[in-house]
Amino acid sequence: MSTPMYVTESGEAIHGIMAEFATPADLYHAAEKIRDAGYSKWDTYSPFPVHGMEGAMGFPRTILPLLVAVGGLSGACLGFLMQWWMSSVDYQLLVQGKPFGNFTDGGWQAFIPITFECGILFAAFTSLIGMLALNGLPRWNHPLMKKERFLSSSDDRLFVCIEAADRNFHPDRTRALLEGAGATSIELVED
Amino acid sequence: MSQAMSNSILSRFPQLRGENISFAPGSGGLGRVVMGAGVIAIAACGLIGYFGPADVHAKQALAAYHIGVMAVMAMCLGALFLMLVFHLTQAGWPSPFRRQIENIAGFLPIVYAMVWPTIIAEIMVGGRLFQWLTDAKDGNYLLNHKSFWFFGGGEVGHGSIPFPTFFLVRAVLYGLIWTYLVTRLTSLSREQDTATDATPFRHARFTSAWGMLLFALSTAFAAFDWLMSLDYKFFSTMWGVYYFAGAAFSGSALTVLILAVLRGKGKLEGVVTHEHFHDLGKLMFSFTVFWAYIAFSQYFLIWYSNIPEETAFFLYRSNYWAWLGILLMLGHFIVPFLIIIFRGVKRNPRLLGAMAVWAIFIHIMDIYWIVRPMVYSQMPDPPHGPLVGLTDVLGITGVVAIFAGYLIVRIPSRELVGVGDPYLVEGLEHKNYV
Repeated sequence: MSTPMYVTESGEAIHGIMAEFATPADLYHAAEKIRDAGYSKWDTYSPFPVHGMEGAMGFPRTILPLLVAVGGLSGACLGFLMQWWMSSVDYQLLVQGKPFGNFTDGGWQAFIPITFECGILFAAFTSLIGMLALNGLPRWNHPLMKKERFLSSSDDRLFVCIEAADRNFHPDRTRALLEGAGATSIELVED
Repeated sequence: MSQAMSNSILSRFPQLRGENISFAPGSGGLGRVVMGAGVIAIAACGLIGYFGPADVHAKQALAAYHIGVMAVMAMCLGALFLMLVFHLTQAGWPSPFRRQIENIAGFLPIVYAMVWPTIIAEIMVGGRLFQWLTDAKDGNYLLNHKSFWFFGGGEVGHGSIPFPTFFLVRAVLYGLIWTYLVTRLTSLSREQDTATDATPFRHARFTSAWGMLLFALSTAFAAFDWLMSLDYKFFSTMWGVYYFAGAAFSGSALTVLILAVLRGKGKLEGVVTHEHFHDLGKLMFSFTVFWAYIAFSQYFLIWYSNIPEETAFFLYRSNYWAWLGILLMLGHFIVPFLIIIFRGVKRNPRLLGAMAVWAIFIHIMDIYWIVRPMVYSQMPDPPHGPLVGLTDVLGITGVVAIFAGYLIVRIPSRELVGVGDPYLVEGLEHKNYV
């Protein structure tokens, strides 16, 4: 990270402002307010999924399905090519009088199950790895983890954190926004 | 559901009232006309078949009628399957359109009865379509091997056709199972409208548990008896699943079509939403993939093992019929797959309704592909002319028209939504969060 725009009194860079909310409904409506205020680098944290939160946060549709389609199709193509090269180019083996698998002799039909399975395999890998990558995972640590209070977000507390890297971020205005959205407590998070 | 509870639902969901979930009394008169036209078409098909030249036409007419019956039966069985699985899993989201599934399945006893003319005619004339009846006169090793299955035992080949006892016993059993399941589940669903608690639905769930097992067996064996036996030398243990895959696909497609038409008529506004279409679209999508999986697996094993009795099935369907096989590959799998995969299509009642029409058409072509080549299979020099004739069109559309007419009469005859459904609130508030 380059020179931080905001620092604490002790000179530490600020990661963002964290606010706690009492109920999922409060969190949901706060998310709508933050979304409408034009923030983009922020997130909500809850111990359970809050249905419709992606809409309240204004997430665009994920591109993961597209990645999975590309992954699945490349897997299928690779699987087919692998079998074709092995059984009809590199080492032709006669099995039960079936054709070798040149494209014209009908033997390619024997390749379909493996082609299908390779497609599934690559699609599954792409969806898992792609999901992790799009979520910025894996990562060693997160600034929020330094906050004692935040740890209960995996238990029974609900939080919002707006990052200082957001171009709309302003220490006072962002704090005021969160207060106006009904936060029960607000604190700065050091980087 | 007590009166107070259903009143509270009505005040929470005003869309569950009046015109939105019911038709004016006396609607659906068009259905009787359509049914009449269907009967006339079947009669014309039969007359052409009877007075037409030689043996081919009678066989063609019978085959056309049989195709129509088996295709419509598949749709009804698909609806029965959905009824069973929704009760069994206590699914909440289908509650706003459960009545429409019941309406489709309500035709099952009728379409079952429509198989009997074929069976009786076949036994009386000694087998035109069911080749095993004809061949039982002279007998052969393969038929002897299956004589228990068809005739209840004994050797065949004594110059006369034995009475197909076991075949008929099974046919009666399917009818009993299907009629009982459909009438029982439908009447329980009606009972629920005025019940004070969810007892009728609990009974429906109990019935569905063992009913699902019997449904699976009866559907598979009916497919063996009435479709696979057209070529008695052929055997495929996957056959029952293949027929079921088509049934579930066309059954969910018909549900979508009915809902799309109802929505187009301004009914069920705010009751059946794009969320329900989305999930029904997922069902259509999964069953088109399932069908392809089963169809390919069946083909692949036959291709690989290369046993003459099995490969003959695909031999009959090559040459003049190859176009139909390719049409099925494209139309029953690749095209629906590439279209329904998109979220926007599934959530658009019009687009999904159009796909449902296509699904029903291609499902009929699937049954056509199974039955029709067998008409020519026994001939040394099959005709090269048009492979879809007038009798085919009349016979198939006749049966489909009777089915359509039945639905047009039946759907408006009662409320479109069961307001006593214990899952109705869950169904009305249903959303796809993904």
